[in-house]
Amino acid sequence: MAQMPGTKHMTATPATRVLGAVALVAVLLMVLLGLVVSPADVVQGQAVRMLYLHVPSIWIAYGAFVLTSLSSALFLIRSRRRHDGGRHYDRLAGSAAEVGVVFTGITLATGMLWGRVTWGTYWQWDARLTTTVLLFVTYLGYLALRRLPADPMTRGRRTAVMALVSFVNVPIVHYSVDWWRTLHQKASLSVGRRPEITGEMYWTLLYSTLAVTIVASWLIVHRYRVIRLEELRDEEALEALIASRLKEDDVQA
Amino acid sequence: MLREALLIARKDLRVEWRSKVTLGHVAPLALLILVVFAFAFDANARLLELGAGGLYWVAVLFGGTLLIQRAFDVETEDGNFDAFRMSAIGAPSLFLGKSLGVFFQVVLLELVLVPGVVLLYNVRIENWVLLLAAAVGGTLAFSVCGVLWGAMAAGLRVRATLLPLLLVPVLAPVLLAGSRAFETALGVRAEAGWTWTSLMFVIAAVHTAIGLGTFGFLLEEG
Amino acid sequence: MSEVTTVATGWGLSFIVVVTYALWIVGRGKTVGRELGIGGQEELDPGSDSSMPADS
Repeated sequence: MAQMPGTKHMTATPATRVLGAVALVAVLLMVLLGLVVSPADVVQGQAVRMLYLHVPSIWIAYGAFVLTSLSSALFLIRSRRRHDGGRHYDRLAGSAAEVGVVFTGITLATGMLWGRVTWGTYWQWDARLTTTVLLFVTYLGYLALRRLPADPMTRGRRTAVMALVSFVNVPIVHYSVDWWRTLHQKASLSVGRRPEITGEMYWTLLYSTLAVTIVASWLIVHRYRVIRLEELRDEEALEALIASRLKEDDVQA
Repeated sequence: MLREALLIARKDLRVEWRSKVTLGHVAPLALLILVVFAFAFDANARLLELGAGGLYWVAVLFGGTLLIQRAFDVETEDGNFDAFRMSAIGAPSLFLGKSLGVFFQVVLLELVLVPGVVLLYNVRIENWVLLLAAAVGGTLAFSVCGVLWGAMAAGLRVRATLLPLLLVPVLAPVLLAGSRAFETALGVRAEAGWTWTSLMFVIAAVHTAIGLGTFGFLLEEG
Repeated sequence: MSEVTTVATGWGLSFIVVVTYALWIVGRGKTVGRELGIGGQEELDPGSDSSMPADS
């Protein structure tokens, strides 16, 4: 974080204002491309437009969770070297995870709506959906763990270990659930298979991923800053409390 | 390290022996769960037979989670966690010892559940070796994961509600694998029971490795 | 639900979620900032577009 946040808009800096403006423009373009310009699919019809949000969302969520895990690892390493070190990694882990959870939720919602139109049901016990639900709940738990009161370093260590263990667990969960569903596929059509995407749809999808990445970055940066402000506030409150206690002792002495 | 771990395990098991919580409270509860499943499925014999493998592991999950809670309650109530931090016993030993303790308690639980499932759901054990291997693998994975995650939630006032939330997504593959392996062993389906069993051992191994490496971080204070 | 309604619901929901989240972040930043006493000097202009997330 190179610059202190501005005074009027607490989490703003010139750099992120630009980022925000770019994000807005990118999203506008995405809406145009996704909902207007790109064609309907031969098989799915208009429903394909859902994928322009659904697919980028899960990719960004994965990216966010990778960021959380990397940050957590760096935090643990730094915290060993210096007693109070690496706090910024802890904050980054938390903000990335929250954004990841939001986009995983969007993935699930758009996926269910897409399924309603194409498969006829909101839910299928296919590998992808099941794994995504587990991923969602896992990081929801991570956020719950972060909320529990404790001194920042203890809480940081605890959640950092959780992030790392969860991350290692993701391929295990993915593999098991995938294998489980493959065994049960039998004669039925590959239920969860995504359709072939070519031409304009392909580029729209790629572009949408870029747009969502920009939006997610903006969100992560600002969430990070809010976490930092909250930590500052908590520290000040604690210092004030200690100071007033000391004063009481002085008065009584 | 192994000797220290065994010391800790023996301590926990001695506490268990005196209080008899596993056999007295948790095992009956797990059996009750099996009965309640029959209510849920309207005593449909075919459904219960098909579901026996999975329902068994759900009952293990339920009872086992309680046992893991207890494994940490025993420490934090008397402030033992501080004693552990200050003692010479290393974090890895504590991790292994606790896992061993939980392992044996859950095994006790399962010794009651297996006959329970066989009798209540009218299934037969076709493959004893597979059943045993699957039970051991699943219990190992459960214990190791449970202790690791239990430590993450330890000392927190909300741990009773938080621990299950954290634990179940992690144990999902174990539940999956255990159910499929048991179904094969009980003759309900003819599938890759041994592959699923190996998966559980792999999960146990992975989490043991992670636990040995990170338990120290979890015990640090301040 | 027709295809168009579904697509509209999906996109609509997603946008609502993201925008609400962004507004919440910015709002929280301001609240905590006020508690910290930063930005207490400058008056918050109610007519300005400070509530637009992208401007921050």
